[in-house]
Amino acid sequence: MARKLLIVDDSPIARKILKKTLPKEEDFEISEAINGLEGLNKFKEISPDITFMDLTMPVMDGQEALEEIIKIDKNALVIVSTADVQPKSIERVMSLGAFDVVKKPPKHERIKEVVFKAYEKINSGGQ
Amino acid sequence: MNMSHNGDFSEEELDILQEVMNIAFGQATSDLAELIDIYVVLSVPEIKLVQAEKLPGYIEETIKDYKASSIVSQSYWGKFKGNALLVFPLGAGRELITMLDPESGESASGDQLNVLEKETLIEVGNILIGACIGKLTELLKDHVTYSPPSVINYNTSESSLFENIIEPNHTAITMKTVFGFEGRDINGYLFLVNDPESIKWLKMALHTFMEEYE
Repeated sequence: MARKLLIVDDSPIARKILKKTLPKEEDFEISEAINGLEGLNKFKEISPDITFMDLTMPVMDGQEALEEIIKIDKNALVIVSTADVQPKSIERVMSLGAFDVVKKPPKHERIKEVVFKAYEKINSGGQ
Repeated sequence: MNMSHNGDFSEEELDILQEVMNIAFGQATSDLAELIDIYVVLSVPEIKLVQAEKLPGYIEETIKDYKASSIVSQSYWGKFKGNALLVFPLGAGRELITMLDPESGESASGDQLNVLEKETLIEVGNILIGACIGKLTELLKDHVTYSPPSVINYNTSESSLFENIIEPNHTAITMKTVFGFEGRDINGYLFLVNDPESIKWLKMALHTFMEEYE
């Protein structure tokens, strides 16, 4: 069964890169959003298994969108994918409930690791 | 007035450049945040390409109080070579002293304060330019060396700046961003001025970067 995946990023290139680094052996039903607000609305609409969220975006940034998503579902699996690699930014989003943080540009191995870690959580009933 | 000449780059090439610059500046900000031990809120950077001969007009149009701006200039050499100009608006130097070295900032005055401001701008500029160009060229599989940075005042060097550093046929990659330092916003402008050969290399390098994801 295909897993529902939501990619929220204002950069079409960042979304393309992320899609290309997903594990090829897995089946995904991918939705995309170009800012935090659109991402939040898509989240409500499709209830994705995993959400990849950029931080620096127009309209609504990723941190605010993450907070709103966690209010809706405290077990939501939101993986922050960001160029903002300040340790304090990473601490901040983890404390807000992010499942993990991936530094840009994402690498195949890192994405595979984090997706499978999310699968484990889903399969253990943690979502 | 439309001063950009993005026509040399396709929409996709500009998107790739935007993403690569975004990553590079994220790294630069992280390095700066580590130095100041402060959290920096990043805004979405705006990237444009401007013909170098139109850069003075672009600066006048874009930067408020541009004549009071301070510019940190640093050259870099590699397959990608050029001059980085980091423009700090009026008052940014004093703001940075307050954050980096508040004790010296309080005790210094007059010329001493001007020297401290210049040193601070050079230090911050060196970190931001070095980390940004370093990450950019790392992503694009190049290696560059740098000249020592220098700080110049826009008003006193306007003519010589553009005569000595910028050739009319060069292209400036302009990047505008806002740093939020715990409630204090500082507008930052970075211009990378490159010769046609470097711009040609950049286009090829951006495609090579994306090939990994095709």
